[in-house]
Amino acid sequence: MSRSTAFAVFGFSILFFFFFFLWPIGETVRGAFFTPGQGFTLGYVLEVFRNPVYVEGLVNAFLLAVVSTVLTLLIALPLALMADRCLFPGRMLLSGLVLVPMILPPFVGAIGVRQILGQQGALNALLESLGLVSEASPVDWLGQGRFWGVVIMNALHLYPVLFLNITAALSNVDPAMEEAAENLGCTGLRKFRRITLPLIMPGVFAGGAIVFIWAFTELGVPLMFEYTRVTPVQIFYGIRDISGNPFPYALVVVMLVSTVLLYAVSRYVLGNSAHGMMPKATSQGGPRPMTPLAAWGCTAFFGGVTVLALLPHLGVILAAFSSQWYGTILPTSWTLGHFEGALGHSLTLLSIQNSLKYAALATLLDVVLGIAIAYIVTRTKLPGRHLLDAMAMLPLAVPGLVLAFGYLAMTQPGKLFEFLNPVTDPLVIIVIAYAVRRLPYVVRSVAAGLQQTSVTLEEAAQNLGASPLRALRRVTLPLILANILAGGLLAFSFAMLEVSDSLILAQRMKDYPITKAIFELYQLLGEGPYLACALGVWAMLFLATTVFAANLLLGKKLGGMFRL
Amino acid sequence: MIAISIDALTKRFGSQAALDAVSLRIEPGELFFLLGPSGCGKTTLLRTIAGFVTPDAGKVFFDREDVTLLPPHKRRTGMMFQSYALWPHLSVARNVAFGLEELGVPATEREKRVREALASVRMEAYAGRKIGQLSGGQQQRIALARALVVRPRALLLDEPLSNLDARLRLEMRSEIRRVCKEFGLTAVYVTHDQKEALSVADRLAVMAEGRIIQVGRPEEVYRRPHSRLVAEFIGETNILPGRVISRDDDRLWVEARPGSFSAHAVETLETKAGDSVLLSIRPESWRISDRSEAEAIPATLHSTIYLGELAQHEFDAGGETLKVLEMNPHLSSRVAGRQYFLEPLDVIALEDRA
Repeated sequence: MSRSTAFAVFGFSILFFFFFFLWPIGETVRGAFFTPGQGFTLGYVLEVFRNPVYVEGLVNAFLLAVVSTVLTLLIALPLALMADRCLFPGRMLLSGLVLVPMILPPFVGAIGVRQILGQQGALNALLESLGLVSEASPVDWLGQGRFWGVVIMNALHLYPVLFLNITAALSNVDPAMEEAAENLGCTGLRKFRRITLPLIMPGVFAGGAIVFIWAFTELGVPLMFEYTRVTPVQIFYGIRDISGNPFPYALVVVMLVSTVLLYAVSRYVLGNSAHGMMPKATSQGGPRPMTPLAAWGCTAFFGGVTVLALLPHLGVILAAFSSQWYGTILPTSWTLGHFEGALGHSLTLLSIQNSLKYAALATLLDVVLGIAIAYIVTRTKLPGRHLLDAMAMLPLAVPGLVLAFGYLAMTQPGKLFEFLNPVTDPLVIIVIAYAVRRLPYVVRSVAAGLQQTSVTLEEAAQNLGASPLRALRRVTLPLILANILAGGLLAFSFAMLEVSDSLILAQRMKDYPITKAIFELYQLLGEGPYLACALGVWAMLFLATTVFAANLLLGKKLGGMFRL
Repeated sequence: MIAISIDALTKRFGSQAALDAVSLRIEPGELFFLLGPSGCGKTTLLRTIAGFVTPDAGKVFFDREDVTLLPPHKRRTGMMFQSYALWPHLSVARNVAFGLEELGVPATEREKRVREALASVRMEAYAGRKIGQLSGGQQQRIALARALVVRPRALLLDEPLSNLDARLRLEMRSEIRRVCKEFGLTAVYVTHDQKEALSVADRLAVMAEGRIIQVGRPEEVYRRPHSRLVAEFIGETNILPGRVISRDDDRLWVEARPGSFSAHAVETLETKAGDSVLLSIRPESWRISDRSEAEAIPATLHSTIYLGELAQHEFDAGGETLKVLEMNPHLSSRVAGRQYFLEPLDVIALEDRA
């Protein structure tokens, strides 16, 4: 790529980020601190901290995030250590299945969890039939406030993110690092605490930060559990009168600032432990054989977690095929009617169409931008390319809810981007919203491919007379096709099942994407939840296929997609 | 100071024998080298001594103590890893102090010993640095200090210099030898660099395919190789097939294609007149002359590579190509195509086997 082309692409990418990443955040901040016509005020933000309802929401969101992160870590850390270190029956299969929890949008999974753990759910029915619980006073597994339901759903959905980060970090640790400790008399848990854990801390931290931010700003799951006293849901309901009400703005800013603060503080406390010069491993570590008892113990734990993680899926599938499932272990009768009902509903086909359209366009935008950015970052020496790289990764760290709200704010009547207002036509703004949030996956994937492909291959083509762009198209792009496809597939499937942008930006029924359609169906009285489940099964199959394909294309490197 | 005895160690990885009934005794205070091409089992042998590899059969003794099944952390050896394995999350001083902390050495003494250890590798000014801020050579010194500070029973070094550039390698070679001798340590050093082994070792073992094929002092192994394999792995040599004409104790008279030679038979060689043998003649042990002398053979100069302090000649002699090194060469007196006479100064007779 010639220098002038590179500059042009660089400039365009920076502008794109300025207008569709910084601008919406800026608009939100402005709404929180400025009263139209009266200037700067701290009143709205202070009022958030005076209003007991908002304070309770923030405390709950914070608690949700902390408890979800701790639970996720408790699940993921032992699993990652087992997968990396131990030989046990079913190791390959179970490590392969670890992505399965991700193929179900968590807020659909929430329906499944309620079917199983609810007071009239399958677990209580099982316990009643065993005589362990009386029918008159069923156990309330999810708790009055539904707090634990949200936590369980978050943990079961998010532990793969942490698992992938930790296994990637573990595989980067030179086995000699631990052998050196053993040589000096340090073994077992002590070795883990003094050497292994500090070495994998960057991975644990990166994964933990994603999980924390995700749980802190999760909108779909609390909505489905009707756990309304939490900030993201309060923001969602506040949007209805966004034009006259400054408090949603203030709440979003408080969320954003707390995520950034929490991130910075924990990074400072844990030490910026990016160990730049980790030497390449020289000896083979590899999993070790263990005693049969310990090996089967690992299998049981790993398998148990996988089964637990599949419970929401199971609940959703069973509900989708059942005509009656209330207070019994399994549904009492079966039907295909919900699929017909869901397909027949005016919302469904339209929403699938909409989602395909939004996601396809967003993916296209991501692939074009992703290739350009990855190329500039890995192959040129432009000043500012690191800034571009950091910007392209930032959407992973900024909560989707914040951005979605920002897009809505910046397209309000009277604003610069009024012509993109989603009430008139949400196509452009939804496509951009989907694209920005999934760009990191594509950039990561393409950059990895470019780093493994020698520049000399491209130079050889130029030496033989191909222009820089032609050399890129004929030599480099075909060589990194697998990476492009994998990144694109991930971007596409996550866009298809996106929640915050979809719930917030799609406001007219004929513009609903599939996730909002599921949400609306769920709220229908009567067979609504069953219809939602049927649509959820369809979404699950769709996402499973694409994640599986991406996994085939990328192999073990898939873990790299979810790292900050 | 301990003696390390290896008794018939065998280790298989899959179907391949990394160690095949290896026996060896390393004397107290000795700087012992394991030398061989990659995949010969030298690193496996070192890791077995350290305790990271459990042998399928055989035993390891530290003096009289059988340590074969003792886990690594109880062996009190100091190991230097090829990658150094310095922990990037700890400072230089904390890396060095680690082993002392594990031993429960009180803080004041610990600090004193860390300072001494850093001083002994001339790195006292770097105590507070992060590992990532050190150059390769500095990391290497810290790795040495970390291994030494615990006063190990033996020092184990796994290709410690392979990640350094040529200049630093020369410097660190003598540094390692100095420190080992200063501390009076029994040390086992793995390398594939024969120059390193010849210049630093008290004794060395040449390994190939999981076996030790020769043990001895550097000069013994270089000047009296027991087999073609050793002769060719350590230094360069000319191998000439020949036939024994007569034998008088360890002197052989051997007929080869370029001419007849008086050769020294290595101890392991059992031959009588009429047997075929291999002659090994090092390139530097020829004398080139213009006139025919007692044991000289006629040879035609084929080509010359000039290297400054020496020249590398190739001669044709009776259909064999001979490599000959000449120190302080004057190229004007060496003309390709002309006939010269080559007098061998050291001829070794080896068993006629690969």
